[in-house]
Amino acid sequence: MFPAFAKYRQSFLIGLQSNLVYRMNFAVRGFFSLFHLAVVFILWGAAYSHNESIGGFSFGQTLTYFLVMLVMQFFVGAFNEDYQISEEIRSGLINQFILKPINYFSYRFSIFLAARFVTGALILIPLLVAVPLLKDYLTLPTEAWRYLLLAPAMMFSALIQFSIAYCFGMLTFWFLEIQGFVILSMAIESLLGGQMFPLDLLPAWIFNAAKFLPFYYQTYFPTAILTGRIEFAATIQGFGIQLLWVLVLLAVNQLLWTRGLRRHTAVGG
Amino acid sequence: MTKYFQIWLASARYSITRTLMFRFDFFLWALVELFWMGVNLLLISVIYEHTDSIAGWSKYEMLLLVGTSLLVQRFLMGFFWSSLFEMGRNIKSGAFDFFLAQPGNILFMASTRKLDLDGLCNSLVAMGVVAYAAHRLNLHPSALDLLLYAVMIFCGLIIHYSMLVMTISLAFWITSAQGIEGSYFTLAEFSRLPREAFKGISSVLFVWLLPVVVVSNAPAQILLHGFQPAWVLALVAATLAWFATAVFVFHRGLRRYASASS
Repeated sequence: MFPAFAKYRQSFLIGLQSNLVYRMNFAVRGFFSLFHLAVVFILWGAAYSHNESIGGFSFGQTLTYFLVMLVMQFFVGAFNEDYQISEEIRSGLINQFILKPINYFSYRFSIFLAARFVTGALILIPLLVAVPLLKDYLTLPTEAWRYLLLAPAMMFSALIQFSIAYCFGMLTFWFLEIQGFVILSMAIESLLGGQMFPLDLLPAWIFNAAKFLPFYYQTYFPTAILTGRIEFAATIQGFGIQLLWVLVLLAVNQLLWTRGLRRHTAVGG
Repeated sequence: MTKYFQIWLASARYSITRTLMFRFDFFLWALVELFWMGVNLLLISVIYEHTDSIAGWSKYEMLLLVGTSLLVQRFLMGFFWSSLFEMGRNIKSGAFDFFLAQPGNILFMASTRKLDLDGLCNSLVAMGVVAYAAHRLNLHPSALDLLLYAVMIFCGLIIHYSMLVMTISLAFWITSAQGIEGSYFTLAEFSRLPREAFKGISSVLFVWLLPVVVVSNAPAQILLHGFQPAWVLALVAATLAWFATAVFVFHRGLRRYASASS
């Protein structure tokens, strides 16, 4: 148990170093996310100018939702893990993992955690600018259970995020180029993951259907818990479905890995 | 001029041949763009389920604005995106040498090498969105209005191109930056908002300093309210200023280009 832990601790530390190399890149991305917040503020501000509430929520609550969603993406979202995995398969770098006593999924996941450690820290910088500017609008519920359940919801969300990215990376065993699939899935994720608008504004039947898809549990679920858009009973039910998706995706990952390796021709390395 | 047109035609022929070779890629990317356009239209549709007006714009006026913004963006994707995206990578890898060795304007050669047919196909969808919105609004623009609209779209394309060239040119200074071109999409988000929604500092920044709002609002205003000299002049002035700045930034960056290490 412990030697295994030490192994992945090392890969976590390597991941930390390699992600720090790209700190500038993440910082620029964080800076531009402030512009996204400005779009949200202007668009929803104009929509709220004739309405006290939209979907039962005030302007402040909607703005808080988008801010938390943004922070959540930097803490649990997959950035370019799919491309990194794809590149390792295509270039043959993956061969070394087949020969060594290391689990590729765990290795990549430890690097993913390190990357989120870096991006999570970096988003705090633009947040220092955004929060004072928006402080009059921001409003969070006070129930303690929301804060207690946030951490496990985020942990499972990170697992789902990474697993989906890993699945797309695995597709490289079958397709040379995965960028098209990834960007297509980004469109679906941004819609059904609640990045474009709070999902509860969708017609009820679509919203209820979305609850059974994994995208709902990527960023919307933890964001909804923290911003008061979901009640306790629905949260507990949500945890059940989220856990189920974690298990399903882990199984799919394992299947794609074993099936993919059968097709792998180990060029280079 | 003729020489450059012939070079562009040769690149276009090459791109079409390439697309015919990789048909699955073409369909996939066309679907990707279609999905993203759908996501943006759905956002409008969802907001208007809960309100009648955004900054005084009705649902179909807003649809016309978003369609116009998407049209400019599809043209950018179709004509320039792949070439400029590769330019960023080539600057980092040193493969940009290839363009420096060519007997022609470097920026022209580097930004017109590849044509994306999927983006150009989806521009027809964006035109369809604009036409549908105009139909629902019962608009009957004159031939002159349509011509002016086309000129405004062209100006918008040049502005978006200039913004993208400047963003990509950052690679000359920040070589470790990956995916920096994505920041362009964040700025493009503003072009889907009506001018009237911007107040105070946001108006100064996004309407007057960055031309992202004018790019879509000026052509949309022509279809909605006919020829308005102030909007047209603002857009033409912004086009000239931004294109000149982009060319300047690119050439300053080029001075820092150090080729590859090996």
